[in-house]
Amino acid sequence: MNIEQYITNLREKFPEIINIEVINTKRLMVYVSRDQLPLITEYWFNELQYRYIIVSAMDSKDGYEIIYHYSDDKSGWIMSLSVLLAHDKPEIESMTPIVYGIEWIEREIMDILGVKFLNHPKPERFLLAESWPEDEYPYRRKYRQGDR
Amino acid sequence: MGKKTIVPIGPYHPLLEEPEFFKLYCDGETVVDMEWETGYNHRGIEKICESKTFEQVFYVVERICGICSTSHPFAYANAVESIGGVQIPVRAKLIRSIVGELERIHSHLLWVGLAGHFLGYNTVFMWAWKYREPVLDMFEIITGNRNSYAMFTIGGVRRDIDEAKASQLLQVLDDVKRKTDLLTGAVMDDPVIHARLKGVGTLTAKDIHDFGAVGPTARASGVDIDVRRDDPYAAYDMVDWKVITTTEGDVFAKAKIRLLETYESISIIRQCLELLKKEKPGEIKTKVKDIPAGIGIGHAEAPRGEVFHYVKSDGSNSPVRHKIRAPSYNCITTFRRSCIGGTISDAAIATAAVDPCYCCTERMVQAIDYKTGKRIMNATDIIKLSQKKTEELKAKM
Repeated sequence: MNIEQYITNLREKFPEIINIEVINTKRLMVYVSRDQLPLITEYWFNELQYRYIIVSAMDSKDGYEIIYHYSDDKSGWIMSLSVLLAHDKPEIESMTPIVYGIEWIEREIMDILGVKFLNHPKPERFLLAESWPEDEYPYRRKYRQGDR
Repeated sequence: MGKKTIVPIGPYHPLLEEPEFFKLYCDGETVVDMEWETGYNHRGIEKICESKTFEQVFYVVERICGICSTSHPFAYANAVESIGGVQIPVRAKLIRSIVGELERIHSHLLWVGLAGHFLGYNTVFMWAWKYREPVLDMFEIITGNRNSYAMFTIGGVRRDIDEAKASQLLQVLDDVKRKTDLLTGAVMDDPVIHARLKGVGTLTAKDIHDFGAVGPTARASGVDIDVRRDDPYAAYDMVDWKVITTTEGDVFAKAKIRLLETYESISIIRQCLELLKKEKPGEIKTKVKDIPAGIGIGHAEAPRGEVFHYVKSDGSNSPVRHKIRAPSYNCITTFRRSCIGGTISDAAIATAAVDPCYCCTERMVQAIDYKTGKRIMNATDIIKLSQKKTEELKAKM
């Protein structure tokens, strides 16, 4: 796969992409805004038939970094979509209506990081116990073990 | 629709004694809906990794799962080494592949045994587990341990395989191949196993794509994916082997894939051992000084499918974020498609078909009356139900 050509095509198709970075061999990171996310997800998952791998989330200095990982198994490339959410507004549209299998990990992120996935079909507790306090999220930077 | 009954499975899975809770909504004998509860086994490993150094993380990820205790270090090594652009010696690549494939053999034999037990074939269970023993003993000889091998390190492996161990390994492989022939013949030709497994828990290629399922689960439905071939790592591009696929998508297809993959693994190890002779003994590690800031994404083909590790480094000696995705995480969600529409007695083997690993995913079976909430069956009863169905089929034949 010619990666330069691929990047140019992707930029043409979605001009609002913030940045595209080849992170190392066969790994591509595409930085997008939260509005662009459903469009590219739809394109990758339904049109190009990329395989959904997982979503990783992290509380960084600049905000909550949500990364959606997909794989193009024909070429062996792993394509990731990175969205940065502000600390004061941790909300993003749920991708479950497009990618069926994403349901679990979105619930997990809601539990541990407190990012809200809007229009999620089943926004219930996944990992944490029912008795866990509502506003404590163990993967947030300020959370310390033993706080409870 | 008549009265619905809830059949709860768990928090201990009938097949693998690991905690997870399924609720099967049943109309008579047919499963009409399904729900899960997880979180019983969550150990916060991702968080622990962030407080360890890159080197120490190997020992943590190795303990995610007792069966895939090489797959996780494998994927993690691929991730970390990609950040630093580390090139590992050929001898280390070969040894990594040998350990990885040995693990696949013992894991697939374990599954065949458990599936046999599930169907009421305890002889298959005992045979498969007996034949698996020499493989574990071989692990002890090569790595010093039957489990949690601690073979991997950044830049290579920690122990070499010398001539004496290599010839011993070849003998074990010959033995395992003979026993697998026997087992494959017994399983593939048995009419009752055909009746129990064919057309049960069928998944289509679309189901696989929707859920992102991987490994033998995907390959049994005609989805031709294997990380070892698609994104080669270690020594998989240096040896000759093929990806096994079928299109049926039922439990029988999954069993077939696992048995045939065992032969491929044996062949890969033999070729690796042959190539190992050409490499200079002792060259098993490159020295790695620092891991620079950056993102590392690594994946490896575990016996159950792709293991995925995402590591973010800020230039310090420990990862700032480490995300782990075990294959079962994506495969378990397919139960929704494989169990619904089937009978309760088939649900047990359909859930077992993906070889679920809850330690990896983190994370039961009993029957409860929908209206009264009274427990009517527990996990043992459901296994008995499954075994009884096989007995009935046997009697009819």
